[in-house]
Amino acid sequence: MSESQVNVRYMVSDVQESVDWYVGHLGFSPVGPASPAFAAVQRGPLRLLLSGTASSAGRPMPDGRKPEPGGWNRFQFIVEDIGPEVERLRARGVKFRNEIVTGPGGSQILAEDPSGNVVEIFQPAFVQTSA
Amino acid sequence: MKTTAMFALALALVAGGTGASAQSPGPGAPAPLRIRYMVNDVSAAVGFYTDKLGFKLVLQSGPYFAVLTRGDAQLLLSPVKGPGGASQPMPNGERPVPGGWNRMVLYVADLQGEVDRLRKQGVHFRNDIVNGLGGKEILLDDPSGNSVELFQPG
Repeated sequence: MSESQVNVRYMVSDVQESVDWYVGHLGFSPVGPASPAFAAVQRGPLRLLLSGTASSAGRPMPDGRKPEPGGWNRFQFIVEDIGPEVERLRARGVKFRNEIVTGPGGSQILAEDPSGNVVEIFQPAFVQTSA
Repeated sequence: MKTTAMFALALALVAGGTGASAQSPGPGAPAPLRIRYMVNDVSAAVGFYTDKLGFKLVLQSGPYFAVLTRGDAQLLLSPVKGPGGASQPMPNGERPVPGGWNRMVLYVADLQGEVDRLRKQGVHFRNDIVNGLGGKEILLDDPSGNSVELFQPG
């Protein structure tokens, strides 16, 4: 088990469309070939597993419930300057659930991938001033 | 008290935040990857992740926020209501809630052994072990109904 990699699985409606979105908008790199059922993309320590309904992760539960995209749990995409980042993504047609919200720890906004999964874009409130 | 807590929170976020920026990776240890889960009760969630799944508590701001760590992952726990940015409703009034199917994947060497151990501790699983192309997996629920995947490659 490698601890230098963090694995997160998102359920998606269309695997290839999802790969294109994460690679094109958020700077992920494809890991291996995409199949209609599954693909993986990587950015820094994050390996994002994109599972479609035909993947093993898409199988229904014993009680009949089917895994689906959406919800509110997410990974954070950390940026130094959230305003321009949001403008850049809006100009590319990326949809957001809300406007920038500022809390005690920093500013954040929720972007949606093509399946309606959320990605949190986050700017820490306090910036380190020395290396 | 409140100011002190906020300051501690800010320090923790700086420590985690600037290092994780792709634009300025900075020197030293690799950046943590941060995952946020919405929870109904921060303390109950902290207890679950530390007792059952081997996370360590980095920081807790009462009922409003907690940061846990496991390997290179940081898990942020945010309540459905509170002062934090993640606890605020959307412009259309919709509130962030726990649940859903997107999840962190925890690699284990012996999936069956882990499942047996956790079942004995009363942990609820959504399904039984599923064999996929890349390995075996199962989904458990945290106390708020968020899913965590245990995965054994091979």
